[in-house]
Parts: sequence; structure tokens; C-alpha cells
Amino acid sequence: MKQLIPAIILGCASASSAAANQTLTISVYSFAQDEYREALYAPFEEMCGCRLVVETGNSVERMAKIEANAANPVIDMAVISTQDALSLARKGLIAPLDTTRLSNFDQLYESAKDPIGDNMAVGYTYYATSIVYRSDLVEISSWADLLGDALAGQVTLPNITTTQGPLTLMMLGKALGHENDYAPVLSAIGARSDDIVTFYSRSSELVQLMNQQEVIAAPVGRFAWGSFKNSALPFAWADPAEGQAGGMNVMVMTAGNGNEDLAYQFMDYWLSVEVQTKIGEMLVDSPANREVVLSDEAAENLTYGAEVIDALNILSAAEILDQREDWVNQWNNEVIR
Amino acid sequence: MFRNPREGLALALPAVIFATLLFLVPVAILLSEAFRADGGWSVQGYIDFFSVPLHRTVFLRTLKLGVLVAGTAAVIGYAAAFCIVNLDPKSRGRVFGLVVLPLMISPVARTYAWIVILGRTGIVNETIMGLGLSQTPLRLLFTETAVFIGLLQLFLPLMIISLVSAMENIPRDVIPAARVLGANWFAVFFKVILPLTKEGLVIGGTLVFTGALTAYITPAILGGSKVLMLETLLYQRVNVANDFVSASVIAMILIVMSFAANLLLKRIATARGR
Repeated sequence: MKQLIPAIILGCASASSAAANQTLTISVYSFAQDEYREALYAPFEEMCGCRLVVETGNSVERMAKIEANAANPVIDMAVISTQDALSLARKGLIAPLDTTRLSNFDQLYESAKDPIGDNMAVGYTYYATSIVYRSDLVEISSWADLLGDALAGQVTLPNITTTQGPLTLMMLGKALGHENDYAPVLSAIGARSDDIVTFYSRSSELVQLMNQQEVIAAPVGRFAWGSFKNSALPFAWADPAEGQAGGMNVMVMTAGNGNEDLAYQFMDYWLSVEVQTKIGEMLVDSPANREVVLSDEAAENLTYGAEVIDALNILSAAEILDQREDWVNQWNNEVIR
Repeated sequence: MFRNPREGLALALPAVIFATLLFLVPVAILLSEAFRADGGWSVQGYIDFFSVPLHRTVFLRTLKLGVLVAGTAAVIGYAAAFCIVNLDPKSRGRVFGLVVLPLMISPVARTYAWIVILGRTGIVNETIMGLGLSQTPLRLLFTETAVFIGLLQLFLPLMIISLVSAMENIPRDVIPAARVLGANWFAVFFKVILPLTKEGLVIGGTLVFTGALTAYITPAILGGSKVLMLETLLYQRVNVANDFVSASVIAMILIVMSFAANLLLKRIATARGR
């Protein structure tokens, strides 16, 4: 017995030391890192006794890093858009997820469970995309209004290379009667190019354009609504006849990272009701866990609830990936010129 | 200066190593990408780049704005420099300080100031509408004009400084002598001032032209995605498309344009001096 107790203490100490030495490297979007630290990173580090290394940047930089370190992954898990996830999957840079290791998986909305196929990703947040506009100056009832005379010289669209670009194309296609062929839509944008003030690349750029009254309407993701709702100017969120577009950001596991156990633990924690509720109440991400109950204020500002999520027009990641090059070429030839 | 040339070499060695390892080698690696294709050497990257109509438009726009900014800066710069060198020493110091002052302010801040000035609700549009010259605000931002104004304001001080420095070396009696001998101001400028300040013009012209070509913040903010220049296109190719080959081609084009401008200006200056 005298020998057993020190052995147990030694065993516990070494296990604790091993956990403390464990590190999980995650690659995430740059925004709201203080909120993520408070709601997700710090509680997880405390829970697992490990250390999180958080790498941030834009999608291209983060994907380039994953690709450059494919033989010896530096990143263990990443959160990206569905089309970027599919791009990584096609290059064999991410591994299929064993969803039995995610205890919160069954609580997710159906569309978040396997958004790009083959269990290569799992959705953690949704966003709706519609049109933000100056309610004192214009009425928006259709996506086609973006190319109408009332907004000529006072409208901006997202650049085709952004996440919002293809979604805008899809909704303009619905409004103009070209649902599955976006070439005529791009031509229509090109024909009105002189009436479009600029093509924005970041939502922060749009916030500035709207607040400086350079433009009075633009398509944007609901995640940016928080920057408009408290403005001194009367901004409104449109409810166009064609509905809202939507998208999802997903979690992926890099292939052969050797740190899968901790990565699954982290993913599962992020998908939990507790964390998704906290992050939702902070107005950072809309929950993908259907068990989450948000306050009225948070619900009003996010893409929340089965009814809203089921009604979103979602463009498949495969279509975006397969068509993007053609879209960009046509955009460069007819729109930017 | 050094009794033993090795002493000079030893002193220069740290700077040479630093510049070689941290500048020349990385730049050479980056630029070599522009000549690589299918594992071999090729100019295919350049052919592909210029086969895109948008790229040709961006190249010509960059060249046009670079020439316009440098040319306009030279015209304004000569007038300003002439005034400055003819001021009394006390006033000259004050005015010269005002010329240098913008260089001490961040280009980002200076460019954002133009958004306030040129915007739909900015001073220019308010004045135009206040005077009844237009009923609706004019579109000034996100145009080539906005980029031109921003670049000119950004680099004009460099031209003025170069020309002031060159004009200060003109002998005091030369211009009055030319006037006494019957030369009008047009002849004084082209036959006296210009030949005697050509070195300053070459330096100022190269600095302004190269600066206009390689500026990023000003075209990005004032031109947006509709008025792309080579530098903003380069950023897009890297950060949006992860296309380092096109980015290397653009970098090489910018370097060649800068060197070509310098050589051309030197040649013009030499030809005029003969």
C-alpha cells in the first residue's frame, strides 16, 4: 500500500502534466476574438487542461497555410465556408468526420449535419443574406430592385470573389428569371455597371459606405446587421419577394494531424447548447444547434429558428466551386471591364 | 578613405548580408515564379496575364495615371519650387516646412480625408450643389479622377523637394541675365531653368512615377474594385485567388516600369543637355 499511493499520485501527476502539455491549433475567422475567448476558448482550456493556439486570417491565407503544411499539418481543425471546405476536401487536405464522436451532432439542424457530403464538414453557424437599405429614401421589395433605376448610382454589390457575391448572383437570377444560368445575370450586372458605385469586398467596407451615404442599398450577410441597427441613419433589413439567400460556415478536421481526440472534443464543445447559446447571445454567430433558445433581442438580430433556416435559399458549395472561375472571367470581362 | 580596402569591405559586409538575405534573395525567388511553368522556364505567365482584357486595361490605366500624376506634379512642382527659392530665407523655411508636413502624416489618414472631401455629402459636392451647379451630388469617389487627386496629393511634396533642391543650385544671376538679354519667361524656363534642374526633375519624376505605380492604399480606398491599378490587382491575385504566379508577373511589370521610367527620364534629360 505504501508503494501504491506514491505510484497513483505519480500517475495522476503525469496524466495531468500530459494534458497540460497538449496543444490544439485552430484556424478561425479574425472577427469577434474577444467574445470567442470568453465564451469558448477559455472555458475549453479550463475543461481540457490543454492550450489552444488560435490562428486567424482571411480564408485564402488560412487555406494556403493548410495546403502548404499538408505533409505535416500545423492546423488541427479549421472553421471556413462550405465552398472552401469542399475545395480542401477535393485536394484531400481534410479528413471525414466520425460524427459518433460528437455528442451534440444529433441536435444540429439537418442541413448542418453533412453540408458538403461524405461527412467532410459539420455546420456550426448559419447566416441569412438579404438587402440592407435606407428606409427613408427607398423601398425594396425584390432583389431586382438592386438593378433598378431608383437605385442607379446609389447601390453597391459584393464582389464576385466574396462569399456574398455568388449568393447575390443566385437571388438576382431568381428575380430576373434565370434560376440556373447565371451568365445572363452577370451580363445584366455588367449592363448596369456604371450605376453601381463600387463592388465591396468586406462587410466593414459596406458599413462605411452606407454610413457615409455613398450608397443607400446593398446585399449583405445578417452577421453584419449589428453594425447597422444602432446607426443614426434609418437602415432596414429587406424581406424581398424571392426570399433571403443563406449560407453556413463549417468545421473541418485536417487530414492526419494526429490530434484528432482533442479536436473532436473542441468541436463537440463548440456545438454544445451552452456554447452556441453564449455566442448567440453575444450576437457573434447564429446557432446551428436547434436546441438553443435565444432571447428575443438575440433572435431578432441573428439567423435563428427552424422556420428562418429552412426558408433560406442556399447555393450548393459544389456549384460555387465548379462555376466560380467562369463567373470571375465573365465578371472581369463584362462588369469590371 | 580606408588605408586597407578590407576595412571598407568589413564595414559594408553586415549591410550587404542583410540586404542579400532579407531582400535580394526573397525578391529573386518571388520574381522567378513569374518565369516558371510546368517545371521549366517560360514566359507563359506574361502571355496569360496580358491575354486577359481586364489586365491590359489595368496595365494601361496604371501607366496613364502614373504619367499624369508625374507630369502634373512636375508642372505644379516647378511653379511651387520657383516661388519657394525666391522667398526670403525665413519665409522659405516656413513654406518648405508646410510642403514637407504632409509627408509626416500617414498616407492612410491622408487618403481617408479625401473620402470626406470627395464623398456625396463632402465639401466639394456641398459647394457644387450650394452654388446651384448641380441638383444632385456628383460621383467623385471610386473614379480615376479620385485616384489621380489622391496620388497627386500624396507624391507632390517629393517633386517639390527635388526641384527646390535643384533650383537652389542655379546661380542667382542667370535668370536676370536671360531676362536682360530679351528672353521671355517661356524661353527662360525651357532654355535656362529646365536644363539646369534636369537632375532634380529626373529624381522627382522617378520618385513620383514609381510611387504612383506602387501605391496601394490610395487606389484601393479611392478607386475601389472598379478602378483597379496593378498594385491593387496584385493584392487581389494573392489574397483572393492565391495566384502567386500572376502576382509575380505584376511585381515584375512594376519593377520594369519603374526602371524604364528612370532610364527614359535620364535619357530625355541628357538629350536636352546636349
